[in-house]
Amino acid sequence: MLRMPIKERANWQQQALEYGFKFHTFDGERYWDESAYYQFTLEQIEKDIEEPTEELHQMCLEVVDRVVKDDQLMKRFCIPQKQWDFVRTSWLNGDPSLYSRMDFAYSGKGPAKLYENNADTPTSLYETGFWQWMWLQDNVDSRVLHRQSDQFNSLQDKLVNRFKDLEYLTPDRHLHFACSKDTDEDRGTVQYLEDCAKAAGLDAHFVYTEDIGRDAAGNFTDSKDQIITWLFKLYPWEFMFEEEFSGLLGKNNVRYIEPPWKSILSNKALMPMLWKMFPNHPNLLASFFEDELSQASGFDTLVKKPIFSREGANISIIRNHQEEVASRGPYGEEGYIYQAMHALPKFGDNYTLIGSWLVDDESAGISIREDAQLVTQDTSRYLPHIIL
Amino acid sequence: MKRSKSINLDFMRKVPRKGFMFNSLALGVAVALTGCSQSEQVRVVESVEDCQVSTDLTIEQCEAAYQKAVLEAERTGPKYNNARSCEAEFGYDQCHRTSSGFFTPFMTGYLVSSMIGNMGRQAYNPVYTYNRPYSSYHNKIMTADGSILGRAGRTSYKVNKSMVSKRKPTVSRTVSRGGFGSVASAKSSWGGGSKSSWGG
Repeated sequence: MLRMPIKERANWQQQALEYGFKFHTFDGERYWDESAYYQFTLEQIEKDIEEPTEELHQMCLEVVDRVVKDDQLMKRFCIPQKQWDFVRTSWLNGDPSLYSRMDFAYSGKGPAKLYENNADTPTSLYETGFWQWMWLQDNVDSRVLHRQSDQFNSLQDKLVNRFKDLEYLTPDRHLHFACSKDTDEDRGTVQYLEDCAKAAGLDAHFVYTEDIGRDAAGNFTDSKDQIITWLFKLYPWEFMFEEEFSGLLGKNNVRYIEPPWKSILSNKALMPMLWKMFPNHPNLLASFFEDELSQASGFDTLVKKPIFSREGANISIIRNHQEEVASRGPYGEEGYIYQAMHALPKFGDNYTLIGSWLVDDESAGISIREDAQLVTQDTSRYLPHIIL
Repeated sequence: MKRSKSINLDFMRKVPRKGFMFNSLALGVAVALTGCSQSEQVRVVESVEDCQVSTDLTIEQCEAAYQKAVLEAERTGPKYNNARSCEAEFGYDQCHRTSSGFFTPFMTGYLVSSMIGNMGRQAYNPVYTYNRPYSSYHNKIMTADGSILGRAGRTSYKVNKSMVSKRKPTVSRTVSRGGFGSVASAKSSWGGGSKSSWGG
């Protein structure tokens, strides 16, 4: 695993305009960064990322199966009691999932260590599935990169195929896509998924989360008053569980992507639960619930993470019982988990995080984020990669 | 190969390529080709009798198609809270009250497609005549979801195949909106330097 500088494509910003990639720069700071790329060997990709990702996903499904059957665990995972049936039913019915992204610390040597699982609302999808794919294509075509260069990125192929499966599994429903207003990044992510769904032959509708309505019978409606029966929401389950319409969840006839059971995986309580069920697994970091901290005495540095949080917010590092805030944010009221410190590898001045994508249960590619800080946040730069 | 085999760049493009007009010959061919497979001619019939006279369907098939179009109109047709707003779009005396209390326009007729009768999944589309004065859609034939077929009075129209083969979403009356989004809104005031995604 190497970090290689490379010349930026002369026309990439013009291309971004033409392809509707609107969030490549944020507040004058680059988010998409093609001044360098990471290079992996095929063995690193297949043995250290692809295989563990699929194995960990199966372990995660075992956690879901355990948690939905146990009220005490549902409490530990902070799933509101009034939503237990909704979450359980979706698991017992086998409601299908579309995608997830697992975040790993990996240096090119030794096992990749799982930080967390973004199983409900993962973003940086467009940058991965399409934009870095085109970056590779352009640089191979112009002979800047060796023509044998490949990329671990079958995301778009797999998403389109998965949408075909999902339509077969969810017949006679139109798919609505939803995200919040005022965020180019989320709208761009959802637009990409709409494109993939259309490529698969589905009818795609769009509605902003805030514009979703209800009729007298309790059905959800879009801004054209059409009843929503199948909804992709780039909006966290733990938010929806608390909001005004939460009482209708499970009461009306709607299928969801991601399904409600994903709320158990996009939840930091997953980490101590995995450690309990699969102790000392090479891809896991020791993790503990707050009331089990006595078991963590062997670790002099722990990372404290909120049960629910997004984009690396509200992370603290505890060294010899001294807490040091590493990132701020609006999360943490549901409590915290503690994970053994395992710092991200450093390439030059950059800390590097690997996002490993799954479409359903198949490993589908990686994305790379870099930051000068130890905690990767939503402003961390996105870099492309190659396999050679 | 560990990456997607090929991606159709034109499909991903959001702004047409500069100088694309020079390629219009190639484009014309493409449209003609998809034109064959994606669209088809449909007839608009005003009544069961009209259906029997002007199509190949039997009177039983015409009657069944009519009954289904009426049900489809009830389910997917435009719905208004009062007669006035309905008449503003479809014309004076052109609306009636449904069993569920909404106002909806009278059907001008219904579509008969050659696909009806030999397709697994059949659709029976009611059509309406849009009537708002000075609107560019004035006196055009419209389906329940607002798609325009063409000027009223023609017997046959060219439509996209999906229009007649796919089931449309049901239309209802929304009683309130804004029941989702409050947590994001409360947390976004914290926002500061973030790209403000609610994904992760």
